[in-house]
Amino acid sequence: MNPATSAAPLSGIVLNIQRYCSHDGPGIRTNVFLKGCSLRCKWCGNPESIAFKPELSYDPKKCTGKAACGACLKAPFPEAAFYVVEGAEDDKVRVNWDLAGECDEALASLCPTGALEMFGKRMTVDEVLSEVEKDESFYRSTKGGLTLSGGECLLQLDFSAALLKGAHERGFNTAIETACNVPWAYIEKVFPHVDTVLHDHKLTIPERHKKWTGVSNERILSNFKKAYEAFPDIDFVARTPLIPGINADEEHIRAVLAFIRPHKNVIDYELLPYHRFGLGKYLSLGVVYELDDYKTPSDDLVKHLQSIIDEAFGRTGR
Amino acid sequence: MIKEIGHTTFGRRIGIMVGAGHVPGINAVVMGAALAAGKLGWEMVGIRDGFDGLLHPERYPDGGLVTLSPQLIETLDPNAAGLLGQAPRVDPFHVRQVNDDMVEEVDMSDALLRKLQAENIDAVVAVVGGRGLSILYKLHRKGLNTVCVPRSIENDIAATSVSFGFNTALSVTIEMLDRARQGAQSARKIGVVEVSGDQAGWLALQAGIAVCADVVLIPEIPCDLQAVAARLRDKVTARRPWGLVVVAEGATFVDGAKPEAQPSSLKASLSPLATGDASDHVIRRSGQAAETVASRLQLSIAEETYPLVLGPWVRSGAPTAIDRQLALAYGAGAVRGINAGTYGTMVAFVPPDVKFVPLAEAINKVRTVPRDSEFIQIAHSLGIFLGREL
Repeated sequence: MNPATSAAPLSGIVLNIQRYCSHDGPGIRTNVFLKGCSLRCKWCGNPESIAFKPELSYDPKKCTGKAACGACLKAPFPEAAFYVVEGAEDDKVRVNWDLAGECDEALASLCPTGALEMFGKRMTVDEVLSEVEKDESFYRSTKGGLTLSGGECLLQLDFSAALLKGAHERGFNTAIETACNVPWAYIEKVFPHVDTVLHDHKLTIPERHKKWTGVSNERILSNFKKAYEAFPDIDFVARTPLIPGINADEEHIRAVLAFIRPHKNVIDYELLPYHRFGLGKYLSLGVVYELDDYKTPSDDLVKHLQSIIDEAFGRTGR
Repeated sequence: MIKEIGHTTFGRRIGIMVGAGHVPGINAVVMGAALAAGKLGWEMVGIRDGFDGLLHPERYPDGGLVTLSPQLIETLDPNAAGLLGQAPRVDPFHVRQVNDDMVEEVDMSDALLRKLQAENIDAVVAVVGGRGLSILYKLHRKGLNTVCVPRSIENDIAATSVSFGFNTALSVTIEMLDRARQGAQSARKIGVVEVSGDQAGWLALQAGIAVCADVVLIPEIPCDLQAVAARLRDKVTARRPWGLVVVAEGATFVDGAKPEAQPSSLKASLSPLATGDASDHVIRRSGQAAETVASRLQLSIAEETYPLVLGPWVRSGAPTAIDRQLALAYGAGAVRGINAGTYGTMVAFVPPDVKFVPLAEAINKVRTVPRDSEFIQIAHSLGIFLGREL
């Protein structure tokens, strides 16, 4: 599953590089999102990060239609991958996602309006670190640095390790966002280059974890526990994406607290209230979003659950 | 797979597979194809659960392929559940696998073609719906010799005037609407019944006409719910204190609003079992149109409305005589197409003929109800309101 190879220069598939972030580790940070994930969380807010390969996206708002353009309706685009609906109110192009999957960056670039774009591109370690270095002064003044996110950044094992090592060598703080659904050997290779690990406790019960993410959480929990013990100098921050009806309840929060509190290097537990920002991305990828009818948790509920965490961490008046 | 037949007419081995979702009459297609193949001296094998019988033979203790022998076919009940089963999704280009607790989607299309070749299956009859046609088209472009059979309870597949399964679904829908009307009459309420039809309103329109519903809402005609309410205020009176609205699941609204489910987040959040064995949340694919129409109408009229959803009920049961004949004809027709080498096509009923339509002409289109359809005129003549003045 690891697309990175030992061929030099080392490269990986990067979804996005986001500067001036402040929520994923200490200080001002640059978040680098890597493609590829080993879970299939039904609420996923970054569906464009799931596949390893770069993939096509389509924004109908940018499409000017068959009469004005029609570039994708003829060669070299794959036959029948794009079409217009006769009798429809507009002549904008529709995508047959089963046939359009073969489109690559070269083809997408032939769309003059930018309606067709690729999610993700291959970048070398040096190219990514050059981007990260641009905010070096901010990192120094705020103790910030690089955060690797995804997808599951640990799956691009060599690439992630090299990026984090390179950031450390430059004196930047390093953090990763991970679900730790990987073999332990991956963790052993990457974590020595990490200062902060933001890790997801999505669901507590293995069967329910499997129902909503595709796999059981037994290995994940085992990895968490081993990591807490094997890397005492890392700051671990537990996180839960809070989804009403799935895990947004006291029982889950208390179960996570019981798991993390014996470990002093788990310094915090953050709640990430479910949002629907990813919905548009599902549409642009032609993927059905199964939680379409779901709402964000209420402010009162989030406050209540946060108060339980604050109490467990001995914080008051937050 | 080789595009040239490479075989004598006698002694070929061909396969048949069924796409996702049951449609009444599937066994009749299998019978039709197997009998026609037998007459040509060919062996026909059924692939279990879409392509899974070939891709994952280890899941089948009795083998992933079923030899459709004359003995088996003679005793096959055309009314029974599908002999070959179904996979939830038929897409060998994206097969979800879990290896070492890691989920990934794998392209197994090359493996599928190799396995077909290894089994000496040199052509496949594919019984598929609209999405499946695209997948089979893609496989055909990779070299698969295939002739497809259109199946749809919504009759929305383009390039054929009828897909098998539709007539049975229509008959069952009419029966259920009759019951819903009786219920509305006795309860003195307005029943809002959702029927299948995400993009095409044939089922709602034809069934609604058959039961003389008060209102029929189809995706092709965005409806004005205020106009619907006004019509119901006229029709639902003290002497006739009931009404029947038929709504296709893909109904659209002039104000652009989409059917929405009621939020249940707070209730779900407070569920003590939210992390236990139960959950408040279910993935819902139907019922939202009926709920939306019923609840919005309730705001505008005095009578009580109640939503009903027929959903997958109409997918089951014995096929009607028409579907049984059609399915047999399509199965036999597909084998005729394979014998003639018309690969990459779909067998289609274009009255009065059975024809073979290139898949490229059948995909990327939906057979919708045209504004000048005779059924629209019939509905008008019967006083059935179609959601807005046309």
